Amino acid sequence: MRRLVVLALLLTACGAQPVQQAASTSLTWAIETQPITLNPHLWAQNKARLLVFNQFDALVSRAEDGSFQPWLATSWKVSDDELTYTFELRDDVTFHDGTTFDAAAVKANLDQFRESGYNPAVAAIQLRAFDKAEVVSPTTVKITLKEPDGLFLDFLASPLAGQVSPKSLREAKDVRFGGPDLVGTGPFILDRYVQGQEIHYRRNPAYKWPPAGAGHQGPAHLSEITYRFLPEAAVRVGALTSGQVQVIEGVPATEVTLIEQDPGLTLTTALNSGTAFSYYFNTDHAPFDDQRVRQAFREAVDLDAVLKAVYQGTATRAWSVVGKASPFYDASLERTFGGDAAKANALLDEAGWKQRDAEGFRVKAGKRLTVRSVSAAPYVRDRRDVLAQAIQAQVKQSAGIDFQVKIVDQGTAQKAVDDNAYEIFENSRGDSDVGAALNLILPRDGAINRTRFTDPQVERWLGQASATSDQAKRKELYTKVQRAVVTEKAIVFPIYVPADQIAAQKSVQGLGFDPGSGTPASAYDVRIGT
Amino acid sequence: MIKRLGTGLAVMWAAATASYLALLLAPGDTVDILVGEGADTPEIRAEIIAEWGLDRPEAVQYLDYLWRLLHGDLGRSYQLDRGVGEILASQAGPTAQLTLAAAAIGVTLAGVIAVATAGRGRWLRGAASAAELVSVSVPPFLIGILLLSVFSFTLGWFPVSGAAGPQALVLPALALGLPIAGVLGQVLRGGLERALEQPFAVTARARGLTERALVARHALRHALLPAVTLAGWFTGALLGGAVITEVLFGRPGLGQIAMQAVTGRDMPVVMAVVLLSAAVYVTISTLLDLSYRAIDPRIGG
Repeated sequence: MRRLVVLALLLTACGAQPVQQAASTSLTWAIETQPITLNPHLWAQNKARLLVFNQFDALVSRAEDGSFQPWLATSWKVSDDELTYTFELRDDVTFHDGTTFDAAAVKANLDQFRESGYNPAVAAIQLRAFDKAEVVSPTTVKITLKEPDGLFLDFLASPLAGQVSPKSLREAKDVRFGGPDLVGTGPFILDRYVQGQEIHYRRNPAYKWPPAGAGHQGPAHLSEITYRFLPEAAVRVGALTSGQVQVIEGVPATEVTLIEQDPGLTLTTALNSGTAFSYYFNTDHAPFDDQRVRQAFREAVDLDAVLKAVYQGTATRAWSVVGKASPFYDASLERTFGGDAAKANALLDEAGWKQRDAEGFRVKAGKRLTVRSVSAAPYVRDRRDVLAQAIQAQVKQSAGIDFQVKIVDQGTAQKAVDDNAYEIFENSRGDSDVGAALNLILPRDGAINRTRFTDPQVERWLGQASATSDQAKRKELYTKVQRAVVTEKAIVFPIYVPADQIAAQKSVQGLGFDPGSGTPASAYDVRIGT
Repeated sequence: MIKRLGTGLAVMWAAATASYLALLLAPGDTVDILVGEGADTPEIRAEIIAEWGLDRPEAVQYLDYLWRLLHGDLGRSYQLDRGVGEILASQAGPTAQLTLAAAAIGVTLAGVIAVATAGRGRWLRGAASAAELVSVSVPPFLIGILLLSVFSFTLGWFPVSGAAGPQALVLPALALGLPIAGVLGQVLRGGLERALEQPFAVTARARGLTERALVARHALRHALLPAVTLAGWFTGALLGGAVITEVLFGRPGLGQIAMQAVTGRDMPVVMAVVLLSAAVYVTISTLLDLSYRAIDPRIGG
């Protein structure tokens, strides 16, 4: 009985004290995804991108129009053959451990990727063309490539090229995971990471080297920032509406109205860079080896109605494999396909799928018009399962197509790909330069070429676009690529452009999105207004 | 006693074998599964093949795996690039805190409600019974969300997340403890009421013992036995519930690690969590079996 009384006292004691309010220059931000690693060189999660540039800076940053701006590098020259990049560096930058940032540090960061097994994916893809880095003077570094690479600056602007103190790379207890002893030059200093709970930064008082285009100069406004990991969307929203956190990211469509109706809250959304969420058709075998069937599938879906029903009007329809936020997006593709059931039926009749079976599905030579999509459960997010069901109902009703949606474990999904036992592949990618994504998806040997489509012309264009840093030239080439795959060959059904959302208390200002990726920006410009 | 230990070891062996079979039978290449979404290089593949002995016959692999387990070697997570033992050790504390608090809440609430309502008026019993039924049948996820919306989002008494202090423990422990209180309460009350109808109760009343003293000193001991038998279920409910509760409340701990490992296909961690749960289960049920003797001296040694 005594224990009971103690418990009751404890409960009342807790109840009497209200939850502590944060001081005005500290802020708590609830985020959905925990970082797998805090080492920027090994970063791989777009959802964790917002953390990286608190602690680390890169040589250059990416502006909204796709161009590059000075950051730790004040200027750079690219040789005419596009093989040599010479960077002039700031001379007043120090790492959090007190060491100086200089050309030797840049070289050490690049050379780190050469360590066997350190980050093999980056060594093989982003740094494929990297030959060597040379220290010309403490503030000048010369990087030589083996072949021209139009995506090299994009790599230098990415979290992967966040500059880590060479001293801490040598001395950190756990280099692969990172943590407070793996330091950068960023506006915040990581001082606490509690797995499953939170990550805490304090301001770097010496900071005076923000990227060009930042909202202010000098140290960050906030003296401290805590990111709480709250994977459950409803809990994040509740924590925000009750004032326990000031900012959240990742607001699902079902919670948007609740936040919009609250006068004390703001909601901002930005489209992600990279590719749109799309259905890619497997052109290797029937029925999608016939272009008419591919077009018919797109025409059979009234996508506007589907998106409105599934995402309550918060989704942005995609018209190209390239996302709308990309500078290479070809807007002329808009309204060129989709939503014409009569046309879908005419195309299928023409392609020989004339009979119907007892269930109303089209049949040709005794075989039902069945298409399968096999996706791995861990990658199904954003209500894409519900979306697939809505599309399934539409293609059945309007054109008699049997669309089978399977959500399975990773091994089974991989097996379906290996066995070529699928007709539709669902994918979106968040690369800050969409060219990197297209290079994986479209070429014959691309790592995720699931369309099994090959076109030497398209590959030539992609190759040319990757080998130049001339943005106008690249736009022209990527426009050709988009027209080929979306209109002429119809190998892809673009569906919606993934987006990120930030909801916050009205008093929080300076929140924004990284122009390069469309994901939430770092906390450097964030402040609490009055 | 020796028989109990033997059963415990057999359960552990079965758990180890089942998780090993799951690894072998899962679709896809075993090396692929063990790598998960971690860095996939020829060196790491060679390391995995060496560690798991995948180049040897399956029977040898299996014996080798058991041998390593016997030495407390739980393997390595290739995704987090750390030893599995180290990962579990760092996360065991918060989970122990949560489950012990939840168990304390569950047992205390069940005891108080059962003692207060056993053999009392129809209304009181009805109300308690209804509350118990609700707490048992509503999923823990929903209980958690409800507790959060009332006590955290609306009243602001408790923080939503973290393992920052005793305050942050209250809601998750309640969410996890309530379903246990529900089941345990029903069983305890049933036991109490049966005991109060026994001849010894009549004798005790005749000696002038008050009803309260009768319940506390005599009947409770009788009612405890069926409740203790539920311990197995109880442990399982706590461990399973911890996964949901930790993720919902954003608390560190084993459940949260298990969740991450399952979605991230980090097989070595998943297997270790299965084994650890089995070990906890076996330990607790063995201890409780031994406690039968303390509760009921009629059960001889």
